[in-house]
Amino acid sequence: MSAKSVVKKIIPNKTGLPEDILLGLYISLVKTRTTDERLRKLFRQGRFAGTYFSAVGQEATTVGPTFGLRKEDIIAPSHREIGAAITKGIPLEKIFAQVYARSNSPDKGKSHPCHYGDRELGVIHPSSTVASQSIVGTGCAMAFQLQKKDNVVLGFFGEGGTSRGGWHEALNFAGIHKLPIVYICQNNLWAESVPSTKQAGIENFSERAKAYGFPGETIDGNDLVLVHKRAYEAVQRARAGDGPTLIECRTYRWYGHSEIDPADYRSPDEIEHWKKKDPVIRHEKILMELGILTVEKRAAIIEDINQEIEEAIKVCETMKYVDPEEAYNDVYSEAFPVRREEDTDD
Amino acid sequence: MKKTTFIEAITEALYEEMERDERVFLIGEDIGIYGGVFKATKGLLDKFGPERVIDSPISEVYIVGGSVGAAMVGMKPVPEIQFADFITPAMDQLIQQAAKMRYRTGGQWTCPLTVRVCCGGDVGGGLYHSQINEQWFFSQPGLIVVMPSTAYDAKGLLKSAIRGDDPVIYFEHKRLYRWIKEDLPEDDFTVPIGKAAVRKEGSDLTIVSYGLMLHRSLQAAENMEKNGISAEVIDMRTLRPWDMETIMESVKKTSHALLIQEGSRTGGVMAEISASITEKVFDYLDAPVTRLCGLDVPAIPFAPPMEHFFLPNSDKIVSAATKLMEY
Repeated sequence: MSAKSVVKKIIPNKTGLPEDILLGLYISLVKTRTTDERLRKLFRQGRFAGTYFSAVGQEATTVGPTFGLRKEDIIAPSHREIGAAITKGIPLEKIFAQVYARSNSPDKGKSHPCHYGDRELGVIHPSSTVASQSIVGTGCAMAFQLQKKDNVVLGFFGEGGTSRGGWHEALNFAGIHKLPIVYICQNNLWAESVPSTKQAGIENFSERAKAYGFPGETIDGNDLVLVHKRAYEAVQRARAGDGPTLIECRTYRWYGHSEIDPADYRSPDEIEHWKKKDPVIRHEKILMELGILTVEKRAAIIEDINQEIEEAIKVCETMKYVDPEEAYNDVYSEAFPVRREEDTDD
Repeated sequence: MKKTTFIEAITEALYEEMERDERVFLIGEDIGIYGGVFKATKGLLDKFGPERVIDSPISEVYIVGGSVGAAMVGMKPVPEIQFADFITPAMDQLIQQAAKMRYRTGGQWTCPLTVRVCCGGDVGGGLYHSQINEQWFFSQPGLIVVMPSTAYDAKGLLKSAIRGDDPVIYFEHKRLYRWIKEDLPEDDFTVPIGKAAVRKEGSDLTIVSYGLMLHRSLQAAENMEKNGISAEVIDMRTLRPWDMETIMESVKKTSHALLIQEGSRTGGVMAEISASITEKVFDYLDAPVTRLCGLDVPAIPFAPPMEHFFLPNSDKIVSAATKLMEY
């Protein structure tokens, strides 16, 4: 086989990605969008408690880097990483179960609606202390290096998270030891109500990588093909032992910090500007141009997703809550059962 | 037989556990080339190499947080916090990650790590090298907190902590490092977490303490014997989960409880022990439960007379006990 034909096979179109990957990315993207919009609606209907943190608008920044990872690779997410959870393979029923906090919830109803995780699939259930998982994720990468495994970690956080001291400690350590981790900064311009201009004195957050001795770049985070390609290259470098990368994905969350946030600190013009850069529509357009996607095929994909969603909702809404005494479990290993209140009332 | 000091017992435990289990590794400031500022990790770099004895940058958040992550994917990290005074940056990782990992993931992820923390006063360390802050962690469910007072327990509890499946904060009192020494068994041994030890039996009052204060309490108990007071001295050893049974049984026997704590009074470990004694065995008491603690001031001050003024000692314990018995 000539070199030319190999190139032709791997790069069949202008995106530089094979058709099956382009379509796979699309399915993860649209699954994330459809699920997210449905969950927002369910919260507004009062069908689950707490609040809901929508990631609509910035899905490409989580789907792109996660797509194509190995099962053994670790996702160290923040609270807006539904796209990473779905793309890494967490079934929708478990996503909804986490939100509904019933007895089928992966965390047994303990943590929070948007704290999706699954040990088998290598997704760490996040905490709400932002960028904290990046530190833990760096520790996972340190372990993989010690264990001489070629697993890779993806650490997700917003631009606001990069202001925390521990985040800098982790990146500094990762730089010293060339750890196998890729840091994905989702710069959606707003950390709850604080604009990115009040978060740092630099425009490109990726510049921070330079201080730690590894590459960083700022890219269009609503270009799914670009995000996937850049992250994939960084993952390959990490896997090969060439150290970390910081990728800043410029993106935008369409809605509030959570569903109880009207987000009136942002201008309608700004929101409209970013809605025109919708990553779903952009990726669909590419697929349609290439003939990978048709209107009919699109409808069939969304119908499949909606069916899965309806089934998941049905399962979760008919599920009971866990016995409140479950509150006593999973504090320690079995060696140290928690002293229960009734035990002290003798 | 050469006696083993408290700090040598710690070094031996680390050495033996690293030999026993290749998942065990150390990370901390100055622990490698320098062997630790108190030499607790002396010789371990030469034996086990820089991959398992990691000289970290000055990054307490990462030392603990990175260890949490490593523990989650199969390692057994033993991070060192050089002085308890410097643990504060790591609180997010200890409280929000380590203590809650099992809980918030419904038992899917765990982080069995052992954080060694050098602590305590009576060494002229000043405001920022004498702190003892076990009470912060004592009040956090999800963490195990131990503080040995003998070389035997220093070795045995550290081994139990490393072999266990839970996050442990292991406080080692620096005043004990070279002062306390004893013959240790040649064979492998562990000390169970969660069990107190009765260090001296007595019938008139129960003194509860741990760490350096255990030794002050034993000295006081010896002095009291001359005055005809028979004190039972309990070493808590594990602060969380604490051994309620041993303490309650003793108080039921003596009807007097004197609780000694090096750290400041308010919200300390002994506040909880006191409340529990009152709740559980009130009918057995002949006098109010009494606490003798460090002063309620920000930390142990530097000037030697002020440091001694801050700390409980055997004389102060004897006078508190005498007053208690006269109630």
